[in-house]
Amino acid sequence: MSTATSAQVETETRASDSSLILSVRDVRKTYKLGRVKVPVLHGVDLDVRRGEWVTILGASGSGKSTLLHLMGGLDRPDKVEGRRGSLVFEGDELTKQSKRALDRYRADDIGFVFQFYHLLPELSVLQNVCVGSMILHGRLGYMRHRAETQKRAGELLERFGLGHRLKHRPAELSGGERQRVAIARALINGPSLLLADEPTGNLDLKTGASILDAMIEYRERAGLTMVMVTHDERIAERADRVIRLEDGRVVEEPPRAG
Amino acid sequence: MADGCLWKGIDSAVYQALLTRKYLTRKIMPMLAMVAVMLSVATILVTWSVMGGFLKTLIESGRTLVGDVSVVWPNVGFGYYDELIEDLEADPMVAAATPSIETFGLIQLPDDRIELVSIKGVEPGSYSDVTGFADTLWWKPIEEPTPKDRKREDLRLDDQNRALMEQVFANGLAMQRESPDSGEVEPAGVLGVEVTGLNYRTKWGGYEPWSANRARPDGGVDRVDSFMPRDGSVGLTVLSLDSEGRPIDPKRLTMPIANEFQSGIYEVDQRTILVPLGVLQRNLRMDAAQRVELVKDDENPFAVEVDPNTGEIRPKMKEIVGEDPARVTAVLIKAADGVTPEKLQERVREIYAVFAARHKGEVPSAFDMERQVKTWKDLNRTMISAVEKETGLVLFIFGIVSFTTVFLVLAIFWSMASEKTKDIGILRALGASTGGIAWLWIRYGAAIGLVGAALGTAVGYLIVRDINAIHDWIGETTGLVIWDPQQYYFIEIPSDVDPSKALIVFVVGVLTCVLGALLPAWHSARMDPVKALRFE
Repeated sequence: MSTATSAQVETETRASDSSLILSVRDVRKTYKLGRVKVPVLHGVDLDVRRGEWVTILGASGSGKSTLLHLMGGLDRPDKVEGRRGSLVFEGDELTKQSKRALDRYRADDIGFVFQFYHLLPELSVLQNVCVGSMILHGRLGYMRHRAETQKRAGELLERFGLGHRLKHRPAELSGGERQRVAIARALINGPSLLLADEPTGNLDLKTGASILDAMIEYRERAGLTMVMVTHDERIAERADRVIRLEDGRVVEEPPRAG
Repeated sequence: MADGCLWKGIDSAVYQALLTRKYLTRKIMPMLAMVAVMLSVATILVTWSVMGGFLKTLIESGRTLVGDVSVVWPNVGFGYYDELIEDLEADPMVAAATPSIETFGLIQLPDDRIELVSIKGVEPGSYSDVTGFADTLWWKPIEEPTPKDRKREDLRLDDQNRALMEQVFANGLAMQRESPDSGEVEPAGVLGVEVTGLNYRTKWGGYEPWSANRARPDGGVDRVDSFMPRDGSVGLTVLSLDSEGRPIDPKRLTMPIANEFQSGIYEVDQRTILVPLGVLQRNLRMDAAQRVELVKDDENPFAVEVDPNTGEIRPKMKEIVGEDPARVTAVLIKAADGVTPEKLQERVREIYAVFAARHKGEVPSAFDMERQVKTWKDLNRTMISAVEKETGLVLFIFGIVSFTTVFLVLAIFWSMASEKTKDIGILRALGASTGGIAWLWIRYGAAIGLVGAALGTAVGYLIVRDINAIHDWIGETTGLVIWDPQQYYFIEIPSDVDPSKALIVFVVGVLTCVLGALLPAWHSARMDPVKALRFE
């Protein structure tokens, strides 16, 4: 059996494994800094199971965020010797999807949380949370879902302790509050997978802990799958599974007791 | 992963409308772009309206003394014109028609200067019916001052001059005047108001008669005081023509002046004198004449014949063999209400064809006259084309200047798009498509263009509407007088806001802004979302 055929069979096998929500195989990525090529990922393999919380640890520049962007369809893996690697989300090969399909994937299936919140400064808290739904549904669709979306946004913000801040702008919020808004925004469309890039990295310990608690509480209640990039070993300790990125490859840590 | 309807490309979405509104109201940059579009639109609209108003005023002035359509056969002229006028006036498309002769001659002015002028012979009554002649007569009693005459300095307003003004106005209409010496009524001409140089054009755009100096051979000067319509006269020299239109000999006549006219076209008012048709026909030998048989060379010069009236013997006379009709060089025609000059032109050609067939060999054929039936636009073609071209040129130059707005908007949008790079990354991470991002900036440009162009159109309209008041205010405040009635022939700045022009300027203003937004939109859409998110 040729290599290509075995890869194809493997992809099909992963696609048929209903416990897997995301499967990454042999994904590579190299960036160019001027004329210099900087390889970041050397062939990453990773499976994420439904409802699982996976934390990715790694040194700065190890490619954690890059891997997260690839998982979220924001970027595409490199093609090496005619092969691009594989990213299978719920049975669909992401690397073969069109740009529009990836846009839809990000809007519908993925929730992104960033270290620096990335809120739109001109919009209010409520509008920032609803903007994902506006993008997903289009004009007419959003008109139909508007009341439902705003109700859900209100509930999420209430849950994260921001029910009284709906009309405030991001500049009027503390760092912790901004991150809570960003999390609510990521959850507004009910994604299957939450990708969080150092969500507490820009917060003090106490605030970071409260943010993490809120995320964990929501994840457990909603059965949400979560992949989180972090530097913080203490956060990693709370995850279901920890993988470490070293030299652009995944080194899986042994399962934790309990 | 749902991969169904993926039409989320350039479709309109709520987030674009929301961000457009927020970006518009929260940033100084879009305000700058809006002001740029507004100024550009207002400038173009004001320029176009003023030039358009200038052209319209000029064209309407050019139409004043020529009627709607003319049948022109220059130099030798054509006969039986009364019959043609009768035929024309019988047609429902014709309101009135009048004969006219146009020739050139020399005018000797009161200070003895001699100038070349256009001499028009007209029948005063019917000429007024066909043209705006009565309205062009300058010396007449008026009730309201002209727009710039705020101190009511116009002597036509003065009650003391009312009787004189009424008299000279009536004289002008009838083209006759009582002789100051004999007291007899005699035919009189009407001069263009700028011909003599004896009318001083005031700063408020009117005229005041003033004196001139006549140079003497001994180096001295004689003062010439003259209000032409009261007692002035000019000397006219014309070349009389034979029946073939060939010049025979110069004729000099003294023509009293009944009034002066202002048509609105400086070149006309400076170079034209209207005289009664009969006077000009006689002096040009274009009046009705007996046709005689010429004495042949071999005939006996001492031959005699019996006078049929007295029965006495007398030297043999030339034999009268017929009569040549009086001739004119043009028939001016006024269209009935609702008839365009072009339609009337066609109808006049048809009427002339019937007339020419009736007088075959006596008048120019319909074929020859085909191109000599001209509308007033044809007659003023050179002048209209020149002003149209000037208008086009000015608009082109202003258009080029205003086109820089595209680059200004482009620069502002590029800067804004760069500033909003992170927003673009965020939106892309949330699922916004490249088309959606591009559309966000294009509709943002359109929104700025709409607001800027609407403001510009409004500002332009207000400026044009009150342009003379604004001009006067600037003059009073700064002493800067751009449109000086002493130099410009129209007292006020002519302007004409045409709604269709305003619409065109508005649409172009919006498109300018959209055009300026295209490149930044394309740039934003192509932005790598990962790099955009990392943008600091």
